[in-house]
Amino acid sequence: MTTLQTKPVAARAELALGPVSRTRRRRRPRWGMWIALVVIGLFAFLPLYWLAVTSITPNDEAFSYPPKLFPTHVTFDHYLKILQTPAIFQYFRNSVIVSVITSVLSVAVSMYMGYAFSKFRFRGRKSLMYFVLSSQMFPQALLLVTLYVVFAQFNLLNTYVSLILSFTTFTLPLCVWMLKGFFDALPDDLIEAAKIDGAGPWRTFHSVILPLAAPGLVASGLFAFVRGWNDFMFALTLAGPEKQTLPPGLVNMFITESSTSWPALMAASLLVSVPVSVAFIALQRFLVGGVTAGAVKG
Amino acid sequence: MTTTDLRPGKHSPRQAADADGSAGTRGTRLGNKSFVFLLLLPGLVLLLAVVLYPLVRSLITAFFKESLVYPGSSFVGFSNIIDVLTDDFGQLLGQTLIFTVGSTVLSFLLGIGLALVLNQRFHGQRFLRGAFLIPWLVPGVVVSFLWMWIFDANYGVLNGILQQLHVIDHPVAWLFNTDAARTALIIAKSWSSFPWMMVMLLAGLQTVPTDLHEAAAMDGAGSIRRFFAVTWPHIRGVAGLVILLEFIWNFQHFDTIFVLTGGGPAGTTQTFATQVYDTAFKGYDLGHAGALGLLWMVLLMVLVVVYVTFSERGERKDKAR
Repeated sequence: MTTLQTKPVAARAELALGPVSRTRRRRRPRWGMWIALVVIGLFAFLPLYWLAVTSITPNDEAFSYPPKLFPTHVTFDHYLKILQTPAIFQYFRNSVIVSVITSVLSVAVSMYMGYAFSKFRFRGRKSLMYFVLSSQMFPQALLLVTLYVVFAQFNLLNTYVSLILSFTTFTLPLCVWMLKGFFDALPDDLIEAAKIDGAGPWRTFHSVILPLAAPGLVASGLFAFVRGWNDFMFALTLAGPEKQTLPPGLVNMFITESSTSWPALMAASLLVSVPVSVAFIALQRFLVGGVTAGAVKG
Repeated sequence: MTTTDLRPGKHSPRQAADADGSAGTRGTRLGNKSFVFLLLLPGLVLLLAVVLYPLVRSLITAFFKESLVYPGSSFVGFSNIIDVLTDDFGQLLGQTLIFTVGSTVLSFLLGIGLALVLNQRFHGQRFLRGAFLIPWLVPGVVVSFLWMWIFDANYGVLNGILQQLHVIDHPVAWLFNTDAARTALIIAKSWSSFPWMMVMLLAGLQTVPTDLHEAAAMDGAGSIRRFFAVTWPHIRGVAGLVILLEFIWNFQHFDTIFVLTGGGPAGTTQTFATQVYDTAFKGYDLGHAGALGLLWMVLLMVLVVVYVTFSERGERKDKAR
């Protein structure tokens, strides 16, 4: 509301000042920019709109042709049905357990590694850093084949352990890089000062450095959580029906030979996507910096 | 690799040794070396056990006849690899490249277009930067479900819209047509990855000095001219890296293909990832899966080497600055 009222005033002020005094101001309207924004915006958000709309469309209306872009009836039955399915609760529980433990473990392991790479110079540091970084580029389908055999030998198939170990390891490169970036930003004098005050290296790290890198810990923890939450291939293969997480669980439940119940599947999809998206956008400030630092700095 | 780093403010090995020596009186303190080793240990153990060991082992399997369900294995030399090479390897590589190149190019074009728009100042720009991340945050299987429903032959919204616009006169079974299925995969994958491209490129765009743009505009350069003369040289490094990374990730992408088309129709959208998976877990043939993986790895290693040299060059440039 307020913006609507102030706009004409601002425009008049500009007229009075003239175009020369404000160099930032463009003279021509930016048509190309708006067209690009609308086209990409439609591509990005129409599918999401369709996801949300289908999830509240009654079955008889969803399974009619041609489809209606705006449903005439709205129902929340699909959500109720999803929330009353015991199997979905089991998948949800598995997803939460696996993702939370993955995120804690991944942060715990990668903070030490990131600290070593950030603040210490040792023989083979560069090669080791490249090994860690390139390990995320090895084909995971290939790793999965042998991991399946190895986990089977240790009787770890159909357990949380196999999933947690795999996810933790695959999130390491990104988390190490993000945390290294956060530690890089802390001055070395901090370590020197702690040393002079008589703190050992462990104490220095745990009580001086770590608290200052808290945003980094949260950001990388969230990343690891999302990796565990979203994974499909490993969860599908390494975990049996009782230990399966939501993504493979939903595929097994809905994508069958007979016709798929699309509105219910869309409702379930929305429920799976919302928690992660909300958390991510809330913490966007830390995350975007972390992602870009992790990938660009190399 | 460099073992000494003499940048001011960083610990050089000599300084570290000095610090250790002077700290000798403090008794049970850990030396710098063992401290660093302990810091690295948990991560290294995980990487060795979950990445390096399985990788080496599956590459070795390429030379054995081994089954997922029956115990025992026998050495067969190169016969698995020869089998794989003579059995449609070219077609599989071609299909993988279609998906990889298509998804990388489309998501880059969308990503850079959006980054350029969102780099401008306007109301709601900050909100849009967050909102456009959503497609990237949606789990991979949900991306597949969503596009499967959009492309659905019987009740799909795409058929509905195209028919109302009179582009098609009867509903099309998109996912059962090779070209359409390939396009559908590229669209779905690009939809989920272009926001990441946008974020990275936007970070790159913020390094472009605005006064350069103003000077170029003053000299009468149009916006396209300014993009190539001013913007592109500044973001070339970031653009190269995101394209390369996206290419590597698409090259081994699994989720979207497996759920959306399952490699079909008639195997025409299979890629290395889905083919290795199917060979091992549907055909129970670890030997051939390993052989396929070995060839796949060789191709990927080339890309990784390119990536490492590329980022090394970038780092050297950073230092020089």
